[in-house]
Amino acid sequence: MPSTEPDVEPLDGRLTRLRQQVETAEASLRRLKLQVQETENQVEVKRQTQQAQISNASLSEQTKRASDSLRKSPRDEITLVNTAGCDSPSPRWPLTAAEYQRYGRQMIMPEVGLEGQLRLRKAKVLIVGVGGLGCPAAVYLAGAGVGTLGLMDGDTVELSNLHRQVAHATTRVGMSKVESAFQYLQSLNAEVSYVRHDFHLSPEQAISIFEQYDLVLDCTDHPTSRYLISDACVLTGKSLVSASALKTEGQLIVLNEPPLRPGNLSGGPCYRCIFPKPPSAESVLSCGEGGILGPVVGVMGVLQALEAIKILTKQRHEPAETSASVEAQPVKASLLMFSAYSNPQFRTVRLRSRRADCAACSTHRTISADSLSSGSLDYVAFCGRTAPVNVLPSESRISAREFSQLAQDSSNVLIDVRDKTQYAICALPGSTNVPWTGNADSWLAKAQQSGALDHAQNQKYIVCRFGNDSQLAAKAILERPEQTSDVKDVTNGFQAWREEVDSSWPDY
Amino acid sequence: MASTPKPPPGHFTVLYFAAATSHTERQHDFLQAPMPVTQLWNALDKKYPGFKVKVLESAALTVNLEYVDLDEEAARGDGGMVIRAGDEVGVIPPVSSG
Repeated sequence: MPSTEPDVEPLDGRLTRLRQQVETAEASLRRLKLQVQETENQVEVKRQTQQAQISNASLSEQTKRASDSLRKSPRDEITLVNTAGCDSPSPRWPLTAAEYQRYGRQMIMPEVGLEGQLRLRKAKVLIVGVGGLGCPAAVYLAGAGVGTLGLMDGDTVELSNLHRQVAHATTRVGMSKVESAFQYLQSLNAEVSYVRHDFHLSPEQAISIFEQYDLVLDCTDHPTSRYLISDACVLTGKSLVSASALKTEGQLIVLNEPPLRPGNLSGGPCYRCIFPKPPSAESVLSCGEGGILGPVVGVMGVLQALEAIKILTKQRHEPAETSASVEAQPVKASLLMFSAYSNPQFRTVRLRSRRADCAACSTHRTISADSLSSGSLDYVAFCGRTAPVNVLPSESRISAREFSQLAQDSSNVLIDVRDKTQYAICALPGSTNVPWTGNADSWLAKAQQSGALDHAQNQKYIVCRFGNDSQLAAKAILERPEQTSDVKDVTNGFQAWREEVDSSWPDY
Repeated sequence: MASTPKPPPGHFTVLYFAAATSHTERQHDFLQAPMPVTQLWNALDKKYPGFKVKVLESAALTVNLEYVDLDEEAARGDGGMVIRAGDEVGVIPPVSSG
């Protein structure tokens, strides 16, 4: 028999060949795995674009399948996965490879987990108002992988929006806010299905639109829409995450959570339970009038997204609405208040449970789906409206153009009643700043103190930003018993001044 | 960003938010305790004329971070809750802007 030595070489050669074969096999295995991943992605994209029905299998079954899969060795995958004709939503893994990567950072937290991620993907969230609140809320919900995101707004993007409305852009000024936000969100996460509602919410449409969603975010800017959205959420059984912001403060409330039937006191309170009377129309300021700090409204919008994620990923042990749930402890909502310049900045107050005589969510309710859909509920009348101030006779008014043609001598006195912050932004030379105090007596006292009323024989002109407060101030002077000289307000204030006289006047 | 100082002995704190801050031009006031909670709006309206109609009637009221319903308090036989010395009252008008 030959010694072993001559056989070493053929053995070495065989080893080399075997190693090469292993390498080749491993390479093709890697290619196959990549193909599987790509095909899975394609299947998922196709599924999303066709808006195919998500599997009717319950979440718990999906999760069970997922965890069963996880128990098997991932190395078996190649032989187990059949990618041919794989249109039906029965993937080997419940999420696509890209989804595991994209959402992994939030999914590894026990608060979310795989089940939470699947709940998010199944969820349909409506964002009403795509402005200072809606932009950050939409960005975080799209990022988190909410399956369907509805965007509703009837406004177009303005330059004055951009310091806070982070989904819009300078190049998209003039575009509808919904379209602008859609473009931003699409590039952030195209896996989300976006529904564009390119109009303002109306009572007539509210019910039929809300019915298509699981959760609603109130990101609007007026009391009328706040009551309308709350009523529609109660009527359609949707939870509502409501936030607001003005100047340096914000408020956040989760309402109608749990969204039990009207009359069931175990459900969460609605907006009317907390604020049954709307604020007086004169006390309501828009961000354009009152001002808003970008990060303040941003914080509130981000918090809305957070509360939405908490609600959507929550494991619900939903009690049947039987006597047992009626005995359950009524849910008290809480109100989170943010005051950027206070200490503490955040305060949480415990609110009430459902109001037993609430107009929307109690057994004594007067608001019905019919009253909304028929348009018979007048939210504008309920909240009151502010007519433009018109308190002066025409001889006590002067147009901006006429005012600009007056002699520039000391026979005229111009009193600017804007607040001192606005006065510091831009003012006419020689004018005196006496900010309107909201009250004739206190303003007259201040005007007197400032010396603006000293020379009784001088013509007096009053100006403000839009021409409302200036009329009230002019009226205050006219109604003084000692009034002797002529007083006129500049009609439509500096807005008219910019339009009629000086186009370079700052349009802040 | 100073925090609200403690009320002097025998007083409670009223914290103002949103439109209530704008109307009073103050962050807080100290009022004499005790005071039935149902009398608070009138007491504040006296201090700041027009406050009740313009702001308070639509505002939420909290005492020590708990919502208090003035109608329900008024309907109670005993005249309702009494604000005591050292209590913290919040005047919270709804903010609707955004």
